Amino acid sequence: MEDRLYDTKDIIYALATPWGSAALAIIRISGEHSIELLSSVFSRPRALCDADSHTLVHGFLVDPENKQHVDEVVVSVFRDKRGYTGEESAEITLHGSLVVVREALQLLGRIGMRSASPGEFSFRAFMHGRIDLTQAEAIHEIISARTSVGKAMAMNKLEGALFDRIEELKQRVLKVVSSVEVQLDYAEDEIGGDIEFPFEEVTFIHKRLDELAYSYKIGRLYAKGAKIVIAGSTNAGKSTLFNLMLRQERSIVSDIHGTTRDFIEAELSIAGIPVLLYDTAGFREASSDSVEVEGMHRTGRLLDQADVILLMLDGTDAQRAKATSSTLIQDSRCIVVWNKTDKALSLEIPEGSIAISAKTGFGMDTLLNEIAKRLLNDTTTTGQDQIVIESQRQYDALTRASAALKKAFEFAEDEVPLDIIAIELDEALDALGSLTGDVASEEILEQIFSGFCVGK
Amino acid sequence: MDYDAIVIGGGHAGIEAALALAKMGCATLMITQSLDAIGRLSCNPAIGGLSKGNLVREIDALGGEMGHLIDKTMIQFRILNRHRGPAVQAPRAQADKFSYHRFAKETLECQSKLSLFQDTVVDILLEQDGSTICGVITERGHHISAHAIVLTTGTFMEAKIFIGEYDAPSGRLGEPAAVGLGTALREKGFTVGRLKTGTPARVKKSSLDFDAMLIQNGDLPLLPFSFDYDTVNRPSMDCYITWTNEETHKIIRENIHRSPLYGGKIVGTGPRYCPSIEDKVVRFAERDRHQIFVEPEGVGTEEMYLNGLSSSLPEDVQSAFIHSIRGLEHAQVMRPAYAVEYDYLDPMQLHLSLETKQIKRLFIAGQTNGTSGYEEAACQGLIAGINAALSLRNEPPLVLSRTEAYTGVLIDDLVTKGTKEPYRMFTSRAEYRLNLRHDTADQRLTPKGYSVGLQPEETMNRLKEKLEKIEAVKELLVSSKIDGKSCIDLLRKPEIVINDMLDDIPQLHEYDEAIRYQVNLDVKYEGYIRRQDRQVDRFVRMEKILIPDTFDYDALDGLSTEAREKLKKVRPSSVGQAGRISGVRTGDVAILMLALRRRGRSTPDES
Repeated sequence: MEDRLYDTKDIIYALATPWGSAALAIIRISGEHSIELLSSVFSRPRALCDADSHTLVHGFLVDPENKQHVDEVVVSVFRDKRGYTGEESAEITLHGSLVVVREALQLLGRIGMRSASPGEFSFRAFMHGRIDLTQAEAIHEIISARTSVGKAMAMNKLEGALFDRIEELKQRVLKVVSSVEVQLDYAEDEIGGDIEFPFEEVTFIHKRLDELAYSYKIGRLYAKGAKIVIAGSTNAGKSTLFNLMLRQERSIVSDIHGTTRDFIEAELSIAGIPVLLYDTAGFREASSDSVEVEGMHRTGRLLDQADVILLMLDGTDAQRAKATSSTLIQDSRCIVVWNKTDKALSLEIPEGSIAISAKTGFGMDTLLNEIAKRLLNDTTTTGQDQIVIESQRQYDALTRASAALKKAFEFAEDEVPLDIIAIELDEALDALGSLTGDVASEEILEQIFSGFCVGK
Repeated sequence: MDYDAIVIGGGHAGIEAALALAKMGCATLMITQSLDAIGRLSCNPAIGGLSKGNLVREIDALGGEMGHLIDKTMIQFRILNRHRGPAVQAPRAQADKFSYHRFAKETLECQSKLSLFQDTVVDILLEQDGSTICGVITERGHHISAHAIVLTTGTFMEAKIFIGEYDAPSGRLGEPAAVGLGTALREKGFTVGRLKTGTPARVKKSSLDFDAMLIQNGDLPLLPFSFDYDTVNRPSMDCYITWTNEETHKIIRENIHRSPLYGGKIVGTGPRYCPSIEDKVVRFAERDRHQIFVEPEGVGTEEMYLNGLSSSLPEDVQSAFIHSIRGLEHAQVMRPAYAVEYDYLDPMQLHLSLETKQIKRLFIAGQTNGTSGYEEAACQGLIAGINAALSLRNEPPLVLSRTEAYTGVLIDDLVTKGTKEPYRMFTSRAEYRLNLRHDTADQRLTPKGYSVGLQPEETMNRLKEKLEKIEAVKELLVSSKIDGKSCIDLLRKPEIVINDMLDDIPQLHEYDEAIRYQVNLDVKYEGYIRRQDRQVDRFVRMEKILIPDTFDYDALDGLSTEAREKLKKVRPSSVGQAGRISGVRTGDVAILMLALRRRGRSTPDES
């Protein structure tokens, strides 16, 4: 609902620094009693609440549910009328790991703060006389670039295919809504009895919404970590690469464990994305060793789950390398890595492949860049769905819509009255409307009149 | 001045306006084209229905008359949507048309300070300033002066009826249109548009075969619309259901070219929610039958109303398709179906008080504003009447919010967005409909009716008593336990209703069913209503940021051109209302708020 924007009563938050890995990140919050609310997830609530304006308070953001520290932070305190917005506000400086930032943002959302709309901080600053009104035109542009009221503007915000997909789902929800609303607007005898709740359609939409939400790659990658599997024939240099990657990346979190016949797993981060890196047993022509056979099975399972596969080929033995790995090369998740280029000087590297020397470190930058590019472009998903959503806001709206539809489904199963089911359906419509344009009650009526033969 | 106020028109809007004005102490004159047509139910013989029933109860709660009239004349009663959710249930009653008119006329006649006069108003009179109303001119040449006028001309302004190739300047079949007033208002600068509506044929009861139809009984006991008493004592008559068939549709399709609608003779827009039979047949070609309700027009009349068969086809076609319907094979048509096209005034020319922006103390209500339906007309008439009286007292108008009444939703929609087709109330137009249950209309509105002087002390006491009982039952539930569980918590479960607890909490028997019913719903919907509260709060805050009527939108930089034009036309009274105007975008509202804030700062006494 668009009204939210003008409501200066809400406490709003937003990441003030770019969304990306950096040494530090700043989250800004603003609104009456915002510091008090923040103190509920701060390790030193008293110190924060008592802090004077324009002072810094050091402490931890704490998840109240499990008492875990989210991050060590410094909070800049701005008392009433003194912050950028002219309201009580605070700036939380935290470490710039995206995992941490994401957790911190979610924490603020959980305690009742609201993710700010574009331009909202500036709007409040105007409202409180902090910024000259001559800039009004600028804010108009900022705010209008947002979704709802101007659908055309919304299209600038949402990539075409994504807009179409969400809009299509919204239209489907609208149809479901109208099939319920028609029964609330016309009596039993006027529309010839009850209309059955479209269970199948609701399930369909809710599944599509979940898929779209799941495509929020950054969110997904940061929540679970990307799986990168090094595969290849024996003696291709997999372990050397594995160790090299760990050495080059300083952010190793856990120790190496496992055995080479099974697989070895380590956590590291590439371009700020948490990565689970696996070194696997090498491929080999028919083995009779039962331990090794089991190892191969496990490698197969790992490969199934991988976001990126680094297929290591021995540059000094090109023929054998190709013979052992022919099926994997076809896999779109695969990055073909030719190793030992220091020795195989005459090797011709096919296009799309990467040449490295795990021994000398040659080509490592190129490889790491390629991995990061793959992860961020999401060419790694195995699903057919190429559409991905881009922001936390879209993710939130899609999950809100999906949850509401699920609830409506359950209510309908339990034969809860239609006027209550309608509330959940409206919620779903409202959430999707926040992305592709609000739905006015007129549109619902339109749908009713065109879809149902109504009236006595 | 001859009168404090004049009400033009004696329909459902006019009745409420005239009674409100007189009860609030204004010497009032009602001018109507025909005293015999006061309170006539021109179309279907029924009052109420989904959201419309709520409107009737809101009118009653404020101190209007419609609830009393239908309670005295109902001949069948039903609660609709019993199984679809309490928030959208509503009462509907079939009415005895003739007694409805007679009681309406009698009520007006008995009202002190109210006079009735039969004539046709052809023009309005303005003060020297050209922007304040001061009287009317009638067809027979009377100049009658008054401080305030409420215009409720319904479908009669420049009206024309159509039956196939036939057309005539009538507002209802056999009743002349009000010619002249529409033109006069056009000349004074009002934007006037054309709308269309229609009504089905009436057939003779003794010529019908009811054995071939499905009988539709009413609910018993009959319950009153009014909050002033608990029971009604009226007969309950049956309605009947039959269906069109392929033959009916074939006749219609073959003659569709003879419809003035398809031939382009009618330019006005008709209601999509109440399509004519030819519309249904054309638009829903896949349907092999449509439902027809055969409803009595009253006690002591043979006329039966064929609900669902409204049409503007020629009479020979009408007879043919009626006779193709089971049970109606030998039906004797007493009045044909017809379409009527009429002038309406663009309601965006009105303030939320229903006073015109252009002419002071000229109020417009009812179908003239582009609505459809007796209830929609009546609630506007009541608000216009109240506000005309308040303006004569120099008091601020009564404006109901979208959060507190369907009436508020209706007027806000009309004034803010205008309408392109006859506007009918729907529950889905109300964003907070859970708060607008028909059984809570008295709680929401009776205090307002009392404060303007329409509701007497007794009604307030009655309400107070009811609220105390509701509180007492709730406390009883809080303090009672069944198997160690609090009864109020038990009641929150969907499968349990309050009457299941009668055995365990015998004290509940001391309270009426109506009280128990309301507590039951209050408890069950509490969680959902609370969920809405945050939205309602936000909504109310936006409504409270007022925009002065003199606000200069041209001086405001940064507004889009469309928004500027719309804002200048509607002249919203609050930022909330501004945000609901189509074409006004979020950014425009933001700028408006900034400007208002700056204005507030520079003149601190205003904010």
